[in-house]
Amino acid sequence: MALFITKRLLMALATVLVVAVLAFLLVHAMPGSPGAVSLGAGASQEAIDAVNQRMGWNDPLFAQFCTWLGSAIQGDLGISLIDGRSVSADLASRLPVTASLAAGATILSAVLGIGLGVTAAVRGGALDQAIGGFVGLLVALPAFWVGVLFVYLFAVQSSIFPATGYVPFEVSPQDWALSLALPVITLAVGGAAFIARQTRASMLEALQQEHIRTLRATATPTWKILYVHALRYASLPIVAGIALQFIGLFGGSVIAEQLFAMPGLGQAVQTSVSTHDAPAVQGVVVIATVVVVAVNLVLELATKFLDPKLRAS
Amino acid sequence: MIPSMAPAPADQAETTTAAAAPARNAGRAAITKLSGHRLFASPGAVAGLVWLAALVTASVTAPLWLPFKTEDQDFTAVLSGPTAAHWLGTDELGRDILSRIFAAAAGTLGTSMLTVIVGVGLGTILAMLAAGAGGRAEGVISRVTEVMMSLPGTVIILAVIGAVGTNIPVVMAILGILMSAGIYRVILGQAKSLQSQLYVDAAKVDGASPLRISLRHVLPGLANTIVVQAALIFAVGMLIQAGLAFIGFGPPIPQPSWGGMIQGASQHVYDAPWMMVPTGAVLALTVLSANAIGNALGKAPNAAAPHLPSTAARRQRAKAVAAIAAAPVHVTKDGAPDGETAVGTLSVRNLSVGVDSPGAGNGVRLVTDVSLDVEQGTVLGLVGESGCGKTMTALSLLGLLPSGVSVTGGQILWNGRNLAATTDKDMEAVRGREIALISQEPMRALDPMFTVGYQLTATIRRLRGMGKGEARKEALSLLEKVGIVDAAQILKTYPHQISGGMAQRVAIALALSGNPKLLVADEPTTALDVTVQAEILSLLRALVKDTGMSVVMVTHDLGVVADICDQVAVMYAGQVVENGRTAAILDSPRHPYTLALLAADPHANHADSMPERLATISGQVPQPKDWPAGCRFAARCQFAGSACLEPVPLLPSGAGEGLVRCVKADQLAVEGMDWLATDVPASRLLEITPKQTLLTEKDMA
Ligand code: SF4
Repeated sequence: MALFITKRLLMALATVLVVAVLAFLLVHAMPGSPGAVSLGAGASQEAIDAVNQRMGWNDPLFAQFCTWLGSAIQGDLGISLIDGRSVSADLASRLPVTASLAAGATILSAVLGIGLGVTAAVRGGALDQAIGGFVGLLVALPAFWVGVLFVYLFAVQSSIFPATGYVPFEVSPQDWALSLALPVITLAVGGAAFIARQTRASMLEALQQEHIRTLRATATPTWKILYVHALRYASLPIVAGIALQFIGLFGGSVIAEQLFAMPGLGQAVQTSVSTHDAPAVQGVVVIATVVVVAVNLVLELATKFLDPKLRAS
Repeated sequence: MIPSMAPAPADQAETTTAAAAPARNAGRAAITKLSGHRLFASPGAVAGLVWLAALVTASVTAPLWLPFKTEDQDFTAVLSGPTAAHWLGTDELGRDILSRIFAAAAGTLGTSMLTVIVGVGLGTILAMLAAGAGGRAEGVISRVTEVMMSLPGTVIILAVIGAVGTNIPVVMAILGILMSAGIYRVILGQAKSLQSQLYVDAAKVDGASPLRISLRHVLPGLANTIVVQAALIFAVGMLIQAGLAFIGFGPPIPQPSWGGMIQGASQHVYDAPWMMVPTGAVLALTVLSANAIGNALGKAPNAAAPHLPSTAARRQRAKAVAAIAAAPVHVTKDGAPDGETAVGTLSVRNLSVGVDSPGAGNGVRLVTDVSLDVEQGTVLGLVGESGCGKTMTALSLLGLLPSGVSVTGGQILWNGRNLAATTDKDMEAVRGREIALISQEPMRALDPMFTVGYQLTATIRRLRGMGKGEARKEALSLLEKVGIVDAAQILKTYPHQISGGMAQRVAIALALSGNPKLLVADEPTTALDVTVQAEILSLLRALVKDTGMSVVMVTHDLGVVADICDQVAVMYAGQVVENGRTAAILDSPRHPYTLALLAADPHANHADSMPERLATISGQVPQPKDWPAGCRFAARCQFAGSACLEPVPLLPSGAGEGLVRCVKADQLAVEGMDWLATDVPASRLLEITPKQTLLTEKDMA
């Protein structure tokens, strides 16, 4: 087990490093040098060159990457070309927004998805078909469209929730929750559908296992077969599905943050890409990767822990 | 939203769990041919095909028929709902929404196709390479795809957009690369099982190049999965593309795009909510269509039935049970009516089991008119080839027939009570406490997620109403009773940590925990090593002697019958063809099928009379739907004659109290005819060719 964890940690580190190189190269392929971007239109070529020189833009790529990596390890991701603020500080203030969003959406979609999936598998018949159709529809609806619909229903028609904006938890926990509600529900719609399908398939597979017959032959009550034994067996692929879903939801937050004007990482990606803010793009890509890889690592260890075969070895 | 980079799971087990638990599924990755039939059998998929075809046609021919140019602005009708001039309304600049939707369609569909080609192409090539090379290469490719799947793909795509700009085809191609990892994971398992097929081995021996093997033998088998994945990725690609356009990374400005149009509409959700509807609906319908096609093709053709039927299926079953209970009791000549059987005895009377048919008529019959008797403390062997209905008969005793199969007639009298007419709820009081089950593969019969100790003590507590400590003590003593020495140690292990023989002992202990009076053993030794088989059989023999319980032993092995059974019933094609005392049947079999089984079994022949050559039974067990009205063995019988075309009753065989279902039984016994190991001499050949002249019951009806 310790060996397994070490291996996985090394792989996670390697993943982050590969993405860092990739981000670095992509940023260098962006149109416009840092000088041109930070000084804006109308700056003289000398001024631009001077800035580029100061930022080491003309150094060999490898040297530049090492410099960036060196400071990144110390928590310094450079300075935004647009507003001159520290990228690390900016991202640090944005991370909680996206984290609340992604975590909330993951939890909500897991609860809804497992509920729907288990119901479909256990009840069967017409209800199974109805849930299947409903879930199929949810998968096909674009989340941004659903988001706008929610805004229309809950913020325009009846102002239960604020349409846009984010209230930090420290300011008011209640308003924080309210401001998160619509974006979280928006993101969770597709996530729940995905997990519902995964859950239904895994539950059916679990119920096809022969040990279910042994349990019935020893008069195990139906609820216990379903919710202790079959669900336990199905939990491995379900948790793996949730891990995959978290990655998707993290990406989905780009749209939710745009739609609901939330100052999160997704918004940072969107604006820094549009403004060609190289250090900001590079920073946010790496931070997003670190978060996603870390969460996946934890969920993967959880699945391994759920499986007695792997736990023992 | 930008969905996960992993392909959305199809509505089926094959792909959904493949990514999560490849090992569990690897062995039975269904190899299905690309099936147009499945596609056209699904109304959703047909509708999807029609919609996609219409959309493509409409968008390609758009310049010819569209009422407006995409940039035509009609300031007299800004933000209008549907009108005669603008069927789907207009946007904030008075542009016709219908025209813009169809003008944008070709680009959206085309670039999504690019994602499909790159993603599915790359994923398939990688999977075939990995499956062909195996070993290290496969490990490396799998590791790389694992890393790719754990990346925040959306963020990376946005960084790519930063570098290459909103060049949609390039962006969608790179998206394809990111998605290829998920496709690789889905296809790999199947490609591997195709690589291990015999005909692939044969091609390798013939010296075919790996490339040729991949293209000729592996790729065709993957066709269905590839199309399924392509359809699903197409849908995901469209959603992602629209999502990108929604956040401002769509095609350059004057060009319309679905995501961009929804973004525009979202600005007017306060004053013109209608604008959301047309574009959203077209996008959703297109995604639905692609998914419907993928799901229809991806449906696993015959998924195994669940061992615990769904609520709906149980309701169906309850109806069948009620029908049995209401049916008039059919008393046979020798059948004892209700209530007269002695305690601890089982008598099955005229049992029929069949597949539930969706319509009103009867489904396929699996067991017909089977009668059995098991006295207390005796062992009945139920013998026959696989598919003869012996397992179905055995499972019906516990009310544990698989989902979709039920008792269609007859009685199962246990202590005088008809179990065939007992509800599932009431059967719970019988199962484990009175009738217990052990099955063929002990490893799979135990729950892999729980320790032996948990499974055993939970069962003991439930069946005997004991407390925790007491149950644990009982578990230890039960394990010792079934011959496990280090019982305390075994209690702590998980099923995968013990050997097959040990697991079967545990399974027997589990079956004994409710002190049952009857044990149904479904091929309990088949999956075990020969030495272990003998141990398990002698354990069962000892248990019968010690506890006085009866056993119904399902087996195809006459050696097992000779070893442990007091009585035996030979089954063929859903019927009992001969029954009686074991010694009588093994010494002087009357039915040609029994003769053949004995002649074909090396263990059943005494060493001194061992024939030079074992006999075979030519042909195959007929499928239930092909059962003839006459003797069901006729097509394979060396003695068949025209008299065998009439239905054959079960008559006293003359050997003990046995019964036999053969018109020539007496004649054969008198003449002392044996089943011949050599080819059948012409004189004994059928005077009829079975296929053409044997009437099936269906024909007669
Ligand atoms: S009835 Fe005829 S066909 Fe059937 S077993 Fe007897 S001899 Fe053979």
